[in-house]
Amino acid sequence: MKFKMTIIVCVFVLLAGLPFASSCLAGEAYHLGVDLAITGTGALYCKDGVDAIKLAVEEINAQGGFLGEHPIKLFIRDSHTKPDVAVREAKDLILREKVRAILGTYSSACAVAIKPVAQEYKVLHIPAISNSENITKVNFSPYTYQVVPNSYMQAKAVVVGVAELAKKKGWKNYVTIASDYEWGRSTQNNTVALLKQRAPELKLKKEFWPRLGETQFTSYITAIMGQKPDFVIGSVASKDNVAWIKQAKAYGFFEKIPYPGSLISVSELILQSKTLTRGMVGLCRAPFFAHLDVPMMADFVKNFRAKYERYPSDWAVMEYDAVYVLKQGVEKAASIDTEKVKDALKGATVDTTRGRLSFREIDNQLSCSSYIGVVADDPAYPFPIYHDLVEVKGPDSWRPEAEIVAARSK
Amino acid sequence: MDASLFFAQFMSGLSRGMMLFLIASGLSLIFGVMNILNFAHATFWLVGAYLCYSFWYLMQDYGFGMWLSIPLAALTLAAIGGIIEVVLIRRVYKRELPEQLLLTYALVLVLGDLIKIVWGVEDKLIERPPLVARPVFIFGMPFDSYFIFVILVGFAVAIGLWWFLKKTRYGHIVRAAVFSREMVSALGIPIPRIYTGVFALGIFIAGLAGAVQAPVGSITLGMDMAVVIQAFCVVVIGGFGSLLGTFVAAIMVGEVYAFSILFWPQGALVLIFIVTAFILIIRPWGLFGTPART
Repeated sequence: MKFKMTIIVCVFVLLAGLPFASSCLAGEAYHLGVDLAITGTGALYCKDGVDAIKLAVEEINAQGGFLGEHPIKLFIRDSHTKPDVAVREAKDLILREKVRAILGTYSSACAVAIKPVAQEYKVLHIPAISNSENITKVNFSPYTYQVVPNSYMQAKAVVVGVAELAKKKGWKNYVTIASDYEWGRSTQNNTVALLKQRAPELKLKKEFWPRLGETQFTSYITAIMGQKPDFVIGSVASKDNVAWIKQAKAYGFFEKIPYPGSLISVSELILQSKTLTRGMVGLCRAPFFAHLDVPMMADFVKNFRAKYERYPSDWAVMEYDAVYVLKQGVEKAASIDTEKVKDALKGATVDTTRGRLSFREIDNQLSCSSYIGVVADDPAYPFPIYHDLVEVKGPDSWRPEAEIVAARSK
Repeated sequence: MDASLFFAQFMSGLSRGMMLFLIASGLSLIFGVMNILNFAHATFWLVGAYLCYSFWYLMQDYGFGMWLSIPLAALTLAAIGGIIEVVLIRRVYKRELPEQLLLTYALVLVLGDLIKIVWGVEDKLIERPPLVARPVFIFGMPFDSYFIFVILVGFAVAIGLWWFLKKTRYGHIVRAAVFSREMVSALGIPIPRIYTGVFALGIFIAGLAGAVQAPVGSITLGMDMAVVIQAFCVVVIGGFGSLLGTFVAAIMVGEVYAFSILFWPQGALVLIFIVTAFILIIRPWGLFGTPART
């Protein structure tokens, strides 16, 4: 009798527990990996990126997570801005933490290194800061999606602006300075090639390649000034860019030689607010002030400022968009299954802080814009922003599909 | 190439060399006297830069803020260095080189994490006072006025160290301790105290170098790893323990870098490593070192 009673109680408990068990399965946490440069050359940009990801995750989790039932669990790792470390951390995120997607990365070299790992383990990969076009142009991985204007798109945007300026000012020759690594090389090569097509009369006098992590640019500055170019095109990023601009300014460089279209993101606008030369023509990837008319951007800026007491940089904007792109992929797939989300994002149109944009099917590149403007003070902000902002749309600046096909067939 | 460009490039090479000398001289001094290869030297240099930022931050409203922050950072770091010598370094004097390297490499990691805790991961920026924010013109070519200060500090440290080692009683004791610790000890001079002083002096110079570097660009984690290799190259070329060697090698490396940027921009860094490898092969004790130090 006692035995029968025990069996009945056990069966009852099991039956009663079934709904909870099924709800546990439905509420499986979505493990999201972040592989960003918390330290090293890219730390300046990545802190904002990590903070924006945390904010997006908090917002989504407040509504129950993805699909309202899959809370996001974040795993944040430091790539040290080194490809080997980035790969090690990516593998650890996949194998130990069982992440379904990896957001990253600063340094295109890190993104290129992680891409095959993500593909091998069938994990989504959104390198929202790295923008070498080689990340999606060659050795294509269907698991990698780009939400940042790539180096070709940025180069084309610069070329459009520079070619017009050159015509107007009668410029004949130029030199380049670019950080000696994947992104610097890719951006510089694209810019030079595109400029040759658009303004063949412009002559490239010399190329300078400071190593990534350079702290003293004096020898480059004097060497460039000695060349007496009509203008200089630069592809230097993060803390190297801060050092380069600060030191070049101390030489009176920007007053003597036009420096149009170099990367001056919101990070530099904020960090060098007192010292940045007004009137410089700069390039950036996702300035929040360009899209305050988009409700998603207005809310993001408001919430980011409330939480972190500062304005978000380009890097924060793009990492925030990356999380929401993932969310929309999951919603479209009606599942957190990586294969389904990957397929759902293919060619998808998504809402971002920068407006409604679409992924191009051939390379999973988002149709996001590049921005060129004149650094100027603005009474609305405690730092300079861009005035006369020109937005070069993604479809007007990305590489033609035929060229991508040709590059892949080589 | 006209003379003004040549001179501008020479000056930028000299400023780079002086910056390297400031980093490498402390490293060479500590090795020369104590036989300790301090792998954490560049990390101390980075801590010096962060300390300078903190002092400047407190005094940024005053024109003298940056100027006062530099010696304050160096002195604070020297005190920290003295404590570290007593607590840690002293225990590995008689150990093998790999064990010393392991300890000092552990210091790199510990100090790196401490920096993260104290100053966070954001880049720090020091604004230069107006006196050194604008260029000066030499033979018609502009030159960053702050680097004139860097060059002067480099020469001052070189002369100061030379005077200290050659002309003072304490310096004579330090030099004597290099050759025979036992003899110096037999004369009743406390060797541990001498070593603590030398280590603190070496770290003072590292702190001074870091503080002088701080207003040049931004201060960020990982900067130390970028300079440590070049600092070691300088010490290898000049000869471990040779102050004169470090001085000459630093200027050499700075000038080779500056002029190769002019003529072979892509090979600037490679050339330095080629020179280092060449010296290691033909004269392993460096240009001004002695064979006993190899």
